[in-house]
This record gives sequence, structure tokens and C-alpha cells, in this order.
Amino acid sequence: MSKIGVFVCHCGENISATVDCAKVAETAGNYDGVAYSVDYKYMCSDPGQNLIKSAIKEKGLTGVVVASCSPRMHEPTFRKACAEAGLNPFMCEMANLREHCSWVHEKGEATTEKAIDLVRILVEKVKYNHSLSEIKVPVTKTALVIGGGIAGIQASLDIANTGHKVILIERDPSIGGHMSQLSETFPTLDCSQCILTPRMVEVAQHPNITLYTYAELESLEGFIGNFKAKIRRKSKSLDEKLCTGCGLCTTKCPAKKIPSEFNEGLGKRTAIYVPFPQAVPNKPVIDRINCTYYIKGKCKICEIVCPTGAIRFDQEDQIMEVEVGAIVIATGFTVKQPDFFPEYGFGKYPDVITGLQFERLASASGPTLGEIRRPSDGKIPEKIVFLACAGSRDPAKGIPYCSKICCMYIAKHAMLYQHKVHGGKSYVFYMDIRAGGKMYEEFVRRAIEDDGVNYIRGRVSRIYEKNGKLIVDGADTLLNAMPVEIEADMVVLATAGVANEGAEELAQKLHISYDPYKFFAEAHPKLKPVETNTAGIFLAGACQAPRDIPESVAMASGAAVKVAGLFSQDELTREPIIAVVNRQAPPVYSSCVGCFLCISTCPYQAIEKEEIKNRNGEVIKSMAKVNPGLCQGCGTCVAFCRTKSIDIQGYTHEQMYTEVMALLNEY
Amino acid sequence: MDDLIKRAKELIETSAVKVVIGYEQGTGNKTRALFVEKSEDADKLIFDSRCVQNLAAYVTKKEVKEKGKMAIAATLPVMRSIIQLASEFQVNDNNLLVLGITPESKLIEFGNLVEVETFVHQYTIEIDARNKEMLDKLAKMTQAERWKFWIDELAPCFKCYACRAACPMCYCHQCTVDFNQPQWIPVPSHELGNLEWHIMRAIHLTGRCIDCDACYNACPLSIPINLLTKKMLEDAKEHFGGYQPALKGDHLMSTYKPDDKENFIH
Repeated sequence: MSKIGVFVCHCGENISATVDCAKVAETAGNYDGVAYSVDYKYMCSDPGQNLIKSAIKEKGLTGVVVASCSPRMHEPTFRKACAEAGLNPFMCEMANLREHCSWVHEKGEATTEKAIDLVRILVEKVKYNHSLSEIKVPVTKTALVIGGGIAGIQASLDIANTGHKVILIERDPSIGGHMSQLSETFPTLDCSQCILTPRMVEVAQHPNITLYTYAELESLEGFIGNFKAKIRRKSKSLDEKLCTGCGLCTTKCPAKKIPSEFNEGLGKRTAIYVPFPQAVPNKPVIDRINCTYYIKGKCKICEIVCPTGAIRFDQEDQIMEVEVGAIVIATGFTVKQPDFFPEYGFGKYPDVITGLQFERLASASGPTLGEIRRPSDGKIPEKIVFLACAGSRDPAKGIPYCSKICCMYIAKHAMLYQHKVHGGKSYVFYMDIRAGGKMYEEFVRRAIEDDGVNYIRGRVSRIYEKNGKLIVDGADTLLNAMPVEIEADMVVLATAGVANEGAEELAQKLHISYDPYKFFAEAHPKLKPVETNTAGIFLAGACQAPRDIPESVAMASGAAVKVAGLFSQDELTREPIIAVVNRQAPPVYSSCVGCFLCISTCPYQAIEKEEIKNRNGEVIKSMAKVNPGLCQGCGTCVAFCRTKSIDIQGYTHEQMYTEVMALLNEY
Repeated sequence: MDDLIKRAKELIETSAVKVVIGYEQGTGNKTRALFVEKSEDADKLIFDSRCVQNLAAYVTKKEVKEKGKMAIAATLPVMRSIIQLASEFQVNDNNLLVLGITPESKLIEFGNLVEVETFVHQYTIEIDARNKEMLDKLAKMTQAERWKFWIDELAPCFKCYACRAACPMCYCHQCTVDFNQPQWIPVPSHELGNLEWHIMRAIHLTGRCIDCDACYNACPLSIPINLLTKKMLEDAKEHFGGYQPALKGDHLMSTYKPDDKENFIH
């Protein structure tokens, strides 16, 4: 006979305001098998937990039902309390009287009746509970970092410095990401490359970091502590061991007119190229789409000039399999490109550019060597207009969110312009100035007050060309929406920061969730900002939402600590809520007939074939077997199994049936 | 079917197979399954239009399997069943030889199941006109009318499980209805019990049933239970792009594809 204890929590007034907790406890006390039933103001408090512990000891309880809140927060609390009193923690169940009852119903008898039903279901279930023990799985102490921008670099270095191995993959030929493209950084105006490149070099030289550039994630299997990742190393058409990075090939390559991605199309590059002089690794790759040899079948000039014979035209992509215990995703973001802003003539007028393009113009390593010259004719613009919120905060454009970094970089751009073009006039159209951050507001005020940037609060309706000038039509909402028209020489759009192309596919490969804008979703917006809903996979930087450099770095270090914490143990404990295939006495062995439809239905590749052999080694039965390390306890296979041969521990057929019948039967 | 008799004799005599499954004359005007283990028994083999029983139901039976390698006289529905069974790992080339009988009543011996699959894929599964009409009629009914139709049709069922015994896909040692801890599907032949049993059967056969009508033919009360599986076949076609048994196919109901037309799953 079961001896069950029922503990009804008032949750302050959260439950007791609408549910008669004393009545719930009293009614539950009369059920068969209930040995003790009580209500209390805060069951999760120390005295509340002691109530449970002492009842277990004194009454010799065999099962506990805590009728309180959602198990999400306090299931571990109450299970731990039970375990401390000597009861198996999986003999403890929680009835959710708060989220499922008191919060969603008004005060009344029916509400109390529902609370009683919820308790009864669990009382009946707990009679069929069995003691379970936690599962231990080993941890592979190597991290995979995807994306070699500042976030990925920081995460890799931080993890590597804790003494663990890191594999960093980057899809471009060099690490560095967007930060390497920036001229100066706000709010200090220090040179972006000067502070970034030492980190890039450190990554390349760190004994714990293995760097693969020009590489992408092909597929991922496994679970926390035990992932198996396939990485596609795209062919660089180069033997990296032989290449010395002398760069002769890049000077001789005849295909010289390819728009440079690094310079945002404002400069040109060759088909065999190093994206920028400080690239890590500083060795070229051949862009096969634009290479004369791959297009026409002849050229091979790079092969002829290469002093070490490092060019490999027949090199193929390599698929590499690695085992890792944790993953940090730092794949970054992208900005909205042409054709998204027809009203601003973007893509039609060469002198309407994006903020990232302006960064290249202002950069000493850029196509104009740091002089602000407009793309059309190379003239220095005398009047320049900056447009904030190009796409951002615009539900009509499908981007209702704030891209966050633009207010600050516009102030920086305007300031750089004023510093470089003496006597030039700059205008900023803005909706609000969002300069929350250390020294951020002061930075914007400096642009306005010291450098004389004209800030106009209002939006721009259109931009068109007239007599070689870009006419910017806007309104000043601080002057009663007075129309403003500026004849500009150049316009810079702070285009919205959006999720990377392919973010959705990557999320599906990784089995992580993402938001409607295809940014990866954190596990909790406040308390778990770097975790994903998939255990062992963490986020850093702008792949989660638009982020500036300090935030990306902070997130990366946060994610690195999570990884280091995970790697601090040799084994992980997991809840034993997993599927098991039944076993029976010979000659049946199991009711499983081995149709293996469960294998195709399992989203975690956790089911495998098991062969039962006789003493002569002949297979006498082929049946399904669940790998306890991989199973996440989702129950899809249980629903699929026609013979009902699979049960989820803690949620068995018998327990579920009992719960349903407890609800349907009269008491 | 002289070729069939001749070939069956050869197979038994050379011990290429231990048993040949085919049809023989039964009582009255009926045919029944014949298991040829001695070559002289092969003379009893017949094949004509009355031979509609799905013999594939026997290849998963322990008593038949135990004899050793089997050969089976297989009409098109039987061959389809065999391909589905092979995809569920119940038969393979090592334990089954298929003596195909084409819709034109010609004998083809297949070297392996891949050849059977190729042959089967020449034909699509089509619901016959009479049943199609019935399905359309049911679809046009109101929910209440349809409910009454099925309550009335299923009322006389006394759960003899002939439908289950005749179905080649019902090969589980422990059927859901035999699972009694807990007893999800009620065993008694009352309204609810009958309804749950037949709905469960239709669901378990979705994406697996090859529309051979063996269940209907086996029913002593001629309850049109095959309409349920036919409806599932139609729905599968509409929502999952059709069904054709395949050796290495993605199972219709258990496979998730990233390019699923429904995006809620992403």
C-alpha cells in the first residue's frame, strides 16, 4: 500500500487567492493511499521543505505530490528535498496549481474543484512511480566555435585559456569578421584593426586552438558533452603547408576586376586572393567562380609564378568529422543590401551607400586609403547626409526591431567625416537617438556640439538625383514636420542589421530555435542570454540579435564560461526520463517486432538495432534499442510504436493511463 | 498455371526453398492457401480470379518462417505487401523468393526484391470506382451522419480479429489490443470498443496499407472496414504526396523532412 504525502502550497496569495487550499488538502487526505496531507503558505521556503522532509521520515512516505507551481522552476527543489529525506527523487511529482489553475481562473468552487482534480491525477500517478537513478554521460572536452568574428575569436581565446581544446571554423578565407572592416570604433575612436589583429594572431598561434578557415558546418549529431560534427573544408585550391604567403600569385592573377567583399564592393580583388593584408591565415584562396582557369579551362598563371608549387587546381572539398562537447555559435549578422530601399535610390545611385561601405571609405586600408571620396567620381563630398533607421523600426519593411548599433556608428561616421573633410557639412536624419552605454551619450553629444553635425529629427521620404546632386526630401518633426530638402553629394544609409543568410538552415542543422527574424533564440531573455534551448550549444554576438563590439565580447566571454563550466566535470548527470524498449523472458525477448519505424521517427538518432544471439552466435531476434545517452525523452517513438513496446521512464503507459482514468472516474 | 507447378516442384526438389506458398481449391467454390513442402503437393496449386487472399500474411508467421526459405506465388497486391514488409525488416532476399504473377496472369520469377520493387513501381495504387464513390459519399455527409454511419456499420462487429489475421501488415506478436497493462483499447465488442479498435487499425496502417482489401474479404459480416484504410490512403496522398511501398523508402508517417510544406515544424 502506498503512503503518499500531499503538500498544497498557497504560493503567498498566488494560489490561495482563487483556490481553497485547505479544502484541496483535506479532500486529498481522504484518497486511498494518502497518508498525510497539508497546506502551507510557501512550500518552497525552508520551513516548507522541512515539512516535506519530516513527513517523509515520520510517516514513512513512499511518494510525494507537491501541489504548487510549474515544475520548471521548483521540481529540482522538491526532488532534492525528497532525496535529502531518503526518498528517491523521482517519487516526487508536482501538480501545477498556479499556472494551470489559480492564475487562469477566477475565485470559485469550480476553480478549487479543478485544483482537486489536478492533485488526484498526480496522487494516482505517483502510485505507479518507480525509483529511478540519474544517467551519467562522459564529456568530450573540446569546444567547437562557429564563426571567426570578434565574438568567435573572444570565445575561442577564453575557452582555450582555460586549458581546453577549441576548434574554430570560419566560412570566409580569413577570420576577423565585420570588425576587421571597420575604420574606427565608438566611443573611443580607436582603430578597429589595431585592436583586433593582435587577437586574430593570438588565435592562429594558440596551442589549444585549431583554426579552419573556408570551412562550414555540414551536419551535427549527438547531444551535450558528446556532439559529432561534420565540417566541410572548402577547397582553397592550395597546399597550405607549401604556401609561404608571399602573395606573388595575387599580383599576377589576370582576373582583377572582381568586387571585393571585404571592401563591400567599393574595391576590386583578384580571383586568387587574400581578403585583406592583415588576414589570418595570410594565405590566398582561389575563388573558383571567378577564376579564369575554372571558367575557361586555361590560365594557371598562379601555378606558374608560385615559387613553392603550392597551387592545387584539383583539390576537392574535405569532410572532416570531429567530436566536441560544446558548441558556441558566433555566426554574426549581415546588413540589408540594395533593392531593399528603392525609395532611397539605393543600387541606382552609386553615391547612396551603406554604413559598412562608409567604414571602408574611412578606413586607412580601404579603397580610398582613408579619404572620404564618393564612389561615382571620386570627389570629396561637401555635403553628406546620414539616414538612421534605414529599414529598422519599420514594420512596413518587416523589421520592427531597432538595429541598435546604428545611432552610435552614425555619430562616429559624421564625426570622422567632419575630422577628415574640413568645412564639410553633415546631416543626420534620426527617429530617436539611442545612445545607452558607457560614454555613448557623451560621444553623440560630442558629434553634435564639438564637431557640428546637424541632427534633424525626422524621416526621409525619398532621395532622387537632380543636376548631379542627391536631393534628400525629409521632414523635421521638431519644427512641426516642416519639410526639409538637402542637396547632398553623398548619402549613407544605416541599413538594418539582419540575420545572416543561411541562419535558418544552420539552426535546423544544430536543432536550435530561432526568432521570427531568424536570429537564434536564447533560452531565456534575461537569465539565460547565452544559452540555447539545446543543452551544450551557446550563443555569442550578433547571431542572437544586433550587438555592438563590447556586447559581443561580453557574450562571448559569458558563453566561454558556460563551456568551461561544462568541461570542469568528467561526467554529466542527466535525468533518467528516457525511452526504454521492454525486455521479456525467452523465447519472446521483447514485444518489439523490429519494424524499426522508430529509428526513422527519432529526431535525435537515439535508436539503434540490437541483435539477440543464441549460444552459437546466430541472430534469433532483431529489436530496437534506445541509447540512453542520446535519448531526450520526447516520446515520439512511444506514440509511434504499434506494439507499445517502448515506455518513457517516469511517464509510462501505465502512469499516463492511470492519470486519465483518475480524471474520468468518479471519486 | 502449369509453369507455377513445374517451378514449385523444381524449387522443392532442389531444396532451393523449403516451402512454396500458393493457392489450392478449398471447400465449396473457395480457394485457400497451400503450403507445398513435398514436390507431389505442388500439383494441387491453382491460380485463377478467385485467388484474392493476400498470401503475404503468411511470410511473417513464425510457423511458416521456421520451415526455412520460402517461395511465394505473388499477385501484384502480394508483391506490394512484400516490399512494405521488407522495408520494415520482416522479410529479405535470404528468406523469400518471389514467384510473381502479373495482372495478365503471367509467371515471372524475380531474382531479388529490388526487381520486385521495380516491377511493382510500374503500377500506381488506385482505389476502385465503386469504393471511390462510397468515399465521396461519406465525405459529403455531415459529421453527425458520418458518425451514425460508422456506429451502425461497426455495431455488429464481434471482434473475431479476422481482419487482423488476414492483413499482411498486422504481423506484430503483441497487437495494441492485446496490450493490457494498461488496456488502452477496450476488448469488449461494445460501441466504444469496436470504434476504438477499427480507428486504431486504420491509423496503424496509414502509410503502410497497400489497399489489397484482405481485411474486408476476411470479415464474416462484410463490414466495409477497408473504407477506413482507403480514406487514409487518400489523405496520405493529399497531405504527404502519395504512397508507394519502397525498400529503402522514407516511411510516410515517421519521416520528417526539412522541406515539409508545413512550416510550423521548423
